[in-house]
Amino acid sequence: MEILLQLIYSGVALGMIYAVIAFGYQLTFQTSDTLNFGQGDALMLGAMVGLTLVNMGVNYWLMLPLVIVFGLLQGGIVERIGVRPAIKIKSEFGWIMSTIALGIIFKNVAENIWGRDDLKFPSPLPEAPLKFLGANVLPMEILVVVGAVLMMLAVEFFNRKTIYGKAVVATFNDRDAAKLMGINTGLVITFSYALSSATAAFAGALIAPLTLTGATMGSVLGLKAFAVAIIGGLTSGLGIIVGGIILGVAETTTGFYLSTGYKDVPGLVLLLLVLAFKPAGLFGKNAIKKV
Amino acid sequence: MNRKTLIAAILGLALLAAAPLLTGNSYYIHMIGTIMIYAILLYGLDIVVGYTGQVSLGHAGLFGVGSYTAGVLFMKLGAPLWVIIPASIAVTAGFGALLALPALRVTGPYLAMVTLAFGTIIQILINEMTFLTEGPLGITIPKPSIFGEKLTEHGFYWLTFALMVLSLVVVDRILKSQLGRAFEALRGSPVASDCMGVSVYRYKVYAFVISAGFAGLAGCLYAYSEQYISPNTYNFELTVLFLLAVIMGGRKTRSGALLGAAIIVILPKLLDDLELFRIVASGLAVLMLVGGAIGVARKITTPRAMAIPVVGTLALAGFAFWLQSITDWRLSIFGLMILFVVYYLQNGIVGFVRALFHVRKPIARHGQAEAGKDAISVAAGAQDAEKGGNLLTAQGILMQFGGLKAINQVDLHIRRGTIHGLIGPNGSGKSTMMNVLTGIYVPTAGSIEFAGRPVVGRTSSDIALSGIARTFQNVQLFGEMTALQNVQVGLHHTFGSTILDVSLHTPRYRREEASAVQRGMGLLSFVGLADLADEEARNLPYGKQRLLEIARALALDPQLLLLDEPAAGLTAPDIKELIAIIKKIRDHGITVILIEHHMDVVMGLCDTVSVLDFGQKIAEGKPAEVQANEKVIEAYLGGTAA
Amino acid sequence: MLSIKNLEAGYGKVQVLHGISMEVPKGKVVTLIGSNGAGKTTTMRAISGMIKPTAGQISLHGKRIDGLESYTIAKQGLAHSPEGRRVFATMTVTDNLILGAFPRLTGSRPKGDVAGDLERAMELFPRLKERRNQLAGTLSGGEQQMLAMARAVMLNPEIVLLDEPSMGLAPILVEEVFRIISDLKGQGVTMLLVEQFAAAALKVADYGYVLENGRISVHGQADQLRDDPAVRAAYLGGGH
Repeated sequence: MEILLQLIYSGVALGMIYAVIAFGYQLTFQTSDTLNFGQGDALMLGAMVGLTLVNMGVNYWLMLPLVIVFGLLQGGIVERIGVRPAIKIKSEFGWIMSTIALGIIFKNVAENIWGRDDLKFPSPLPEAPLKFLGANVLPMEILVVVGAVLMMLAVEFFNRKTIYGKAVVATFNDRDAAKLMGINTGLVITFSYALSSATAAFAGALIAPLTLTGATMGSVLGLKAFAVAIIGGLTSGLGIIVGGIILGVAETTTGFYLSTGYKDVPGLVLLLLVLAFKPAGLFGKNAIKKV
Repeated sequence: MNRKTLIAAILGLALLAAAPLLTGNSYYIHMIGTIMIYAILLYGLDIVVGYTGQVSLGHAGLFGVGSYTAGVLFMKLGAPLWVIIPASIAVTAGFGALLALPALRVTGPYLAMVTLAFGTIIQILINEMTFLTEGPLGITIPKPSIFGEKLTEHGFYWLTFALMVLSLVVVDRILKSQLGRAFEALRGSPVASDCMGVSVYRYKVYAFVISAGFAGLAGCLYAYSEQYISPNTYNFELTVLFLLAVIMGGRKTRSGALLGAAIIVILPKLLDDLELFRIVASGLAVLMLVGGAIGVARKITTPRAMAIPVVGTLALAGFAFWLQSITDWRLSIFGLMILFVVYYLQNGIVGFVRALFHVRKPIARHGQAEAGKDAISVAAGAQDAEKGGNLLTAQGILMQFGGLKAINQVDLHIRRGTIHGLIGPNGSGKSTMMNVLTGIYVPTAGSIEFAGRPVVGRTSSDIALSGIARTFQNVQLFGEMTALQNVQVGLHHTFGSTILDVSLHTPRYRREEASAVQRGMGLLSFVGLADLADEEARNLPYGKQRLLEIARALALDPQLLLLDEPAAGLTAPDIKELIAIIKKIRDHGITVILIEHHMDVVMGLCDTVSVLDFGQKIAEGKPAEVQANEKVIEAYLGGTAA
Repeated sequence: MLSIKNLEAGYGKVQVLHGISMEVPKGKVVTLIGSNGAGKTTTMRAISGMIKPTAGQISLHGKRIDGLESYTIAKQGLAHSPEGRRVFATMTVTDNLILGAFPRLTGSRPKGDVAGDLERAMELFPRLKERRNQLAGTLSGGEQQMLAMARAVMLNPEIVLLDEPSMGLAPILVEEVFRIISDLKGQGVTMLLVEQFAAAALKVADYGYVLENGRISVHGQADQLRDDPAVRAAYLGGGH
C-alpha cells in the first residue's frame, strides 16, 4: 500500500509535467491551428540551459526566470522560421515537417554541445523524502506540482485579466474578427509559440533534478504530452490536468509492476483508445464543421 | 505515359537490372539493392503522403513489423520464402489496419502524432518481447532459398529487382484506377468526396493499409538483405528519412520515390566522409551563387528571394570547413534539408525538373471517346413510382448552434418529378437545410424520410449512395483532377472491382473503367463540357466549373438533386444555359431542389417554392403566388415599405 | 471621409465587384443596398481589409487604406461590425466590448474615457447591460448583433461599417436595431450601412447606393430612392 501511494505521488508529479507541456500545445493550437512538434525538445533545451547556468554558479531560483526568457526566444524563433512561412503558403504538411525538422536540429545541436550522455542535475531542495499519508514523497516532486500549477494559473490570469491576454483569447475565438479589433494576429501567434516554449522550458528546469537530464529526454516526453492533450481534449484546461495525472500514475505503476521497458506503453495505448472511442477527448466538445 | 517517357523508363530499369553485371563490387550491389527496397516502401508511403495528403510518422514501425515477421517466422518456424513474403505483407497490413482504424478519425497533426506513437510502441514492443523477437540481441537471417537452392548475392538482387518492378506496376495501376481517383478526391475536397459517395474515412484507411502492405514487403526483403535485424534500426530517424525521401524526390511520382530512396541511402554515406562533404557543400554554394546571379540578371527572381538560399549554402560551406567530424551533425543536415525542401522545393526534385522543362503531367487523353446515348440513367424503380408522390419528407426540423436556431421547426414535402425552389433572405437557413439533408449536419430534432428510409443519423456518403446528390455554394471540385476525372469520382459507385482486379487489370476492371469513361463523357456532353474533358478542373472558367459540379452530381444516378445557388456569379448567357440544363434534368425524371437568389431563375423553373425567413417557413406555393405574397415581400424588402 | 473609387474585388477566380465608386461624407449615414450575391458584404470586407481589392482605391480622410491589413485599418479609426456578428463566444459581453477598445488601450488610438464609454454603450443597448457577465456565445442572435454593433462603437471610431445588422433578427429586434442606428446618427457618428432590408435602411440613411451584380445601378438621396421602382425590381425580379 505504501509503495502504491508512493507510485501515485511520483505519477502525479510526472503527470503535471505532461500537463504543462500539453498546455503549450493547446496555446498554439488554439490561436493558430498549428502546434510545435519539437515541443519536447524545447523542454530539453530548458533543462540543459538551466543545467549550464546552475553549473556556472547561478542560483536555481534565479535560473528559473532566465530559462523562461530563453524559452520565449526559442519559441519565437520556431514560429518565425518554421511556422509563419508555412501558414503563408497554406501548407499543413509544411509546418508539421518544419517543426519536426527544427526539433531534430535543436536536439542534434544539444547533443554536440552537451554530449550524448545523461547528466545529473543538482537538486535545489534536500533529497531526503518526506512522509505524507504514510508514503514517501520527494520535496522536488512537490515543487514540480506547485510550479506547474502556478505556471498554468499565471497564464490563466494573464488571459483573463490583461488586455493582451484577452487579445490572445479573442484570436483563438475568431481570428478575422480579432483583426477587426486592431489586434495583430500574427504577433499573437508568435507570442503563443514563445509562451508555449517558455512553459516547456520551465517544465524542463523543474523536472531535471528528478530524472536524468540529457539530449534525448525531450522526444518521448513531447509525444506523451501530446497523448495527454488528446486524452484530456485539446480545448479543456482541466482536461489536461486530469489526463496528465491519469497518464503519470499509469506509467509509474506499469513501470513498477510490469517492467520499466514497458512504462511508455500505457500512455500510447491510451491515446489510441481515446482516439478510437472519443476523439474529442474525455473532456472535449465535438466541433461542428461549417460548409 | 507518352513514348519518350516510356522508353526512358525502360532503359533506366534495364540499366538497374544489369547493375550487378556492370559492377562486381559487393558493396555497391548491396547499396543499390537497399535503394530498391526503400523504393518499394516509398511507393506505398507516397499513396498516403502524396495522394491522400496525410502525414505518417509510423512507417518505420511498419517497416519493422515486416522485417520482424520475416525474422520471427524464419527463426521459430524455419518458414520458406514463399510463405514469408505474403505473411510479411499480410501481417504488416493487419498492423496498418489496427493503427488506421482509430488514427484516421483524426487528421493533420493529430494523425502525425498518433502514427508517431504507434511507431514508438512498435519499437518498444520489439525490444521488450524478447521471447518472440530476441529483443536487443536481434535476429540473424541467411539469404533465402528457392527450390532448395540458396540465392546468391546476384540472385537475391534480381529477386529484389523483380519485386520492385512488380510493386511499381501495381502501385501505378492502383493510382490510375478508381481507387487512385478516390484518394485524390478526398484530399481535394473531403466534403465533396463524402457527398459523392466516397467515404473519406474508409478510403484513408484503405490507402494506409495498402501502404502498410508495401512497407511489409520492403521490411521482409530488408531483413534478408541485411541478414541481421535489431530494434533500434526502426526508429524516429528512419521514419523522418522516409518522409524526406518522398517530399524531396517528388510526391505523386514513381521516379520521385526512386530518386528519394537513392538520396536517403547515399546521403548518410556521404555525410560520413568529411572531405566529400566539404567538396559537395562548396560546390552547392557556388552553384547557388551563380544560379542566383543569373536568375536576378534575367529577372526571373529577386535578390530578396535568393538571399536566404545563397547565404544558407555559403554558411553551410563555411561550417563544413570548420567541422572536424561530420557524423555528429548528420541529423542537423537532415533537418536543414527538410526545411529547404518544405519551403523551396514543394514538388520535390522531380516536380522541379518537370516545371523547368515544362513537362506536363501525363494524362490519358479521352477527347473523342464515344459518348453514351442516354447518359443520365435514373435509379431503378424511380420511374415506376407514381409521379406526384412524396419523394422526400422532412418534418419538424430544428437545427440549433448554441443559442442560435438556424432552422426552426421546418416541414418540407418534396414531390417526385418536380423542381422545388427554396428561397429566402441571407441567413434564413437555406444552406443549413441543404447540409442537414445531405448528412453534413445532424439536426437537433426532427425527422427526414427519403424514398422510404430515414436520413437522420446516416453518413453523407451513405446518403449520397442512396440517391441524393448535391452541388455546393462554394465550388468544391477536385481541382488537380481533370473534368472527366471529377465526374468519374461521381461514378465511383459503379465500380465493384477490388484491389486485386485493379492490380491485375482483370476483364472486369477493364470493362468498368471503359464504361466509366463512356458514361463520364456522356455526362460531360450533357452539360456541354465534352471538349474540356481533359482540362484540370481548377483551370476551367468559373461558369464551367459550376456546370461540372452538376455533371459530377448526376453521375451518382440520383433520384434527388440538390442545387445550391447554381447561378451565383454566372453571366446572363451562362444562366440561360443553366436553366436549359435543369429543365432537361427534370425531364429525365430527376427531382430537383433549387436554392437560388436569382428570382428570374426561380420563378421560371420551379413548380413549387418554399420561402424561409429566420429559419422558419413563411410561405409555400406556386412561384407567382409566392412572388405576390405580402409576407415574402416584407421579408425581402423589409419593414413597413414606405 | 471615406472615398471609394473604381473598386474591384472578388474571391479567387470569381470577380464580384466590377468597379464601384462611393462617398461617405462625415457625419452622414450612407447605405448600400442590393439583393443577395450583389456584392454588398464583399464591398465591406474590401474596405476593412478582410480581403484585398484587385483594383481601385479606398481612402479614409484622404489617406489610402486599400491593401492594408485589417488591424492597421482598425487603428486608423474604421470599425467594422461584420456580417454574421462574429462575437468572441467564450468571452463575456463586457470583455467583448473592452476588446472593441483594444487600440485605445494599447496606445494606437487616443485613450479617452474607456470605462465611461463602456457604461454609455450599456445604456444605449439595455439588453447587453442585463447580460454584462454572460458568455457571448450563449446570447441569442439578436443580442449578439447588438453586441457586435456596440463593440464597433467602443473603438470611438471615425466611421462605423455595419454589415447587415438586421440579418436573422425578428422584426421587433430589427426595429430596435434601427432605432439605435438612428440614435447614433443623432450623435453624429458617420456610418456605412449595408442592408438587405432596403426600406428600413433608406428610412434611416441620408444617401443610398443600389448594388446589382457588382455594379452601382442607381444612387441618390435616400428619400428619393424609397419611391424608385427600380429598387424594388432589383430585389424581387421581373419587370425590368
